[in-house]
Amino acid sequence: MMLMVQDLRVTFLLDGKTGLRAVDGVSFDLAPGTSLGIVGETGAGKTTIARALLGLHPSGCVQGSIRLDGRELVGLSEEAWRAIRWRRIALVPQSVGTALDPVYRVGDQIAEPLRYHLGLSPAEAWGRSLELARRVGLEPRHLRAYPHQLSGGEKQRALLAMALSCAPDVLVLDEPTSGQDMLSRARLLDLLDALRREGGMGLLVISHDLAAVARLTERVAVLYAGQLVEVGPTAEVFQDPRHPYTWGLLHAYSDMSAARDLRGIRGAPPDPANPPPGCRFHPRCTQAIDRCRREEPPLRDIGGRWIACHLGGLQTLLRAEGLRKTFSVDGGEPEERVEAVREATLDIREGEVVALVGETGSGKTTLGQMLVGLLPPDGGRVVLEGRELTAARGKERRAMMSRIQLIPQDPFDAVSPRLTVAEMVREPLDIQGIGTPEEREAKVRQALRTVGLPASPDFLARRAHELSGGQLQRVVLARALVLEPKLIVADEPVSMLDPSEQARVINLLKEIQTERGLALLLISHDLALVRKIADRILVMHRGQIVEEGPGNRIVTRPEHEHTRMLLEAAPRLG
Amino acid sequence: MGVGRRAFVYLLTFWVILTLNFLLPRLLPGDPLAALLDPSSSDYVYDPEVRAALAAYYGLDRPLPEQYGRYLLGALTGDLGRSIRLNRPVAELVVGRLPWTLLLVGTALLFSSALALLTGTESAWRRGSWADRGLVSASILLANVPVYFVGMMLLLLFGARLRWLPLAGGRTPFARYPSALAAALDIGRHLILPALTLTLAMLGAKFLLVRNATVNILGEDFMLVARAKGLPEGRLKWGHALRNALLPFVAHLAAHAGMAVTGAVFIETLFSYPGMGRLIFESVTARDYPVIQGAFLVVSAVVLTANFLADLISLRLDPRLREGGAVG
Repeated sequence: MMLMVQDLRVTFLLDGKTGLRAVDGVSFDLAPGTSLGIVGETGAGKTTIARALLGLHPSGCVQGSIRLDGRELVGLSEEAWRAIRWRRIALVPQSVGTALDPVYRVGDQIAEPLRYHLGLSPAEAWGRSLELARRVGLEPRHLRAYPHQLSGGEKQRALLAMALSCAPDVLVLDEPTSGQDMLSRARLLDLLDALRREGGMGLLVISHDLAAVARLTERVAVLYAGQLVEVGPTAEVFQDPRHPYTWGLLHAYSDMSAARDLRGIRGAPPDPANPPPGCRFHPRCTQAIDRCRREEPPLRDIGGRWIACHLGGLQTLLRAEGLRKTFSVDGGEPEERVEAVREATLDIREGEVVALVGETGSGKTTLGQMLVGLLPPDGGRVVLEGRELTAARGKERRAMMSRIQLIPQDPFDAVSPRLTVAEMVREPLDIQGIGTPEEREAKVRQALRTVGLPASPDFLARRAHELSGGQLQRVVLARALVLEPKLIVADEPVSMLDPSEQARVINLLKEIQTERGLALLLISHDLALVRKIADRILVMHRGQIVEEGPGNRIVTRPEHEHTRMLLEAAPRLG
Repeated sequence: MGVGRRAFVYLLTFWVILTLNFLLPRLLPGDPLAALLDPSSSDYVYDPEVRAALAAYYGLDRPLPEQYGRYLLGALTGDLGRSIRLNRPVAELVVGRLPWTLLLVGTALLFSSALALLTGTESAWRRGSWADRGLVSASILLANVPVYFVGMMLLLLFGARLRWLPLAGGRTPFARYPSALAAALDIGRHLILPALTLTLAMLGAKFLLVRNATVNILGEDFMLVARAKGLPEGRLKWGHALRNALLPFVAHLAAHAGMAVTGAVFIETLFSYPGMGRLIFESVTARDYPVIQGAFLVVSAVVLTANFLADLISLRLDPRLREGGAVG
């Protein structure tokens, strides 16, 4: 093993007393000829790690162990570090615009380490830097220029040539693509990829540019608030993220293939001077349990993937296996029975938005009703948070059902026209017998505020027929929210509304879903609408789920004939 | 901006100064003669006829453009008028005094700059240490103590009490030197105290400037990269940090060239040093206006020249100032 980082901790003193732990117990290793990516949000500690690898932090800030070919680097003197820097571990810094000394020619700056580390004469060093320049695609005139005369892309290349000058064993690239326009970024990635293929060097790519990391690295480590939360092969991690943070990060990343609107991770990264107790991600995590608030989860190997999560990663919230439902036509012969749902199997994970798409009569509403427990299936089972809903009875069943709320297609189906708004929203609480009357009132008001409705006495006293379609749909949504469910199943929630109100309600649904961290199953015939918010799309046809995949894949590369038909039928303007 | 353009701008500035020098006495109440001759001095001419003759002698009866033409011609050929007090050409006085001031200011500039650059960089390198904090406090104190106070103390200690160095003058009066070396030694001995005073007077501000500029530069990304490159400390400190701190330092030198002359007025007076500063002081006391004007012109020319030189040095030091650049 060439570079081994064990339990690296970097602490900065803020005002002489308070310590800021920018990196807290990070471990990874890097073998010759391999590449590792470290991804994470701004402020996660990525650059701090890069600088620690070159010993650039003030002495005493860095604890833990950094070993290069077995030799401990932490605690080395400045003099000893000097021999390691650039010669063994080199850096392409993040700040391309200001990383070169403005008063020296670019070529001299590339040649500088050659002169001091390898003892080359000025002429030899210049000759070598010409070779290096060619290797990164620069011309001799670029070497004779001063930094301010180069473009950002050229400076980035010059910095790369500089980093390569002493043929280091480890090359650290700190945000290599930041600040580059798309074309120079593409050229730079080609160049770096070619370098990587030449082999020999260990490559550490530190970036929030997930696409760059995907292109350049074999393994990836996900950093959150100074700690690694997931480590694994890059392709696998990006294809199938297992830690809730990784999942959120990937969904926040915009790439050309995503048809869905961007979504952030709810909340904000913690203040590094004052991190939350327990798992640092728990305030933003949709599946956090009590233990997450108390105990820090260790990074452990779960089925070949290293994950720091008490629950072992992203949880499956609801699982349906082989659900069947057959309706017999009244008084008809057995041949006239309708198989509404045939062997439907699906998963909904924590905090995920899944769309179930199909034409009218495809069985999607029937499937939705079986999932929420309104309709008993003829076969198969529904498992909610690890417990079988279809087998539960009595009080347990009632409690489980309150975790899933259905928003029906027609809001008048959900509420009695005799009830006032206050009663409509409060009804589930009354049925479940939750809280005192005052607490219920408070919950009703809060739910109404969440869906953007007034909680005035006048409004609370209105009845269903006094509300607009959009208002009634929001009341139904508020009614679903008072029980604080984990999953909302919304069956054509906006089909009765005009387009502008549709957009508002869909965005509201998405917003509440993100903020509350709930999962959402959106049942709809409208592929154009659901692809805007769905992480995954299931396509249903004649009682069967015929295709399933990430939203962008379904929309851009549909595999099933029926999906293609749905796509073609989707509305287009112009 | 190219060198040629810069030179042109400086020539233009000098012409404006020349013109102001011509216009100001003529804009004052009364005539230039009243400005030339103080009514309270014994030289004041009461007889109107003599005054008219004098006006004719000085060409003041000619039209203004002609006066201006003669004035410019005179200034450019070295005719700065005559001293009323000493009745000698101003140019001759200036030529006799200027080298002494150049020697004094030049020496002080050289030593204060070298010291400021060395200590300022080292201090910035060890920022926050007790040595750095001590130096910063000392230089703030030094920058705020009046020049003449420092000079007086040095004079009392080394001149009066220890008697190591001469009390006044630029050289020993009536001395005959057997060799050039002996002359240089004598002039050098007389130079030490005034030059030391002026050096100290300039050192505080210069040190703070270099130190603060270097502290800023040490925080620059390219310094971190230079460190990451594993360069030796000397190369980082002098080759990168100081090299970049030179840019604001030279700009400061240019801006403060005039201040050096002001400082010299006090010091030359204190040490009875035969330079321009003392000439100005003596002329102001005696209201010898032609000398004041002439000295003002020459000092302006010297300051402008110093500025121009500083500009040229900046151009050499900072590639970003150069037009077009060296790509090709």
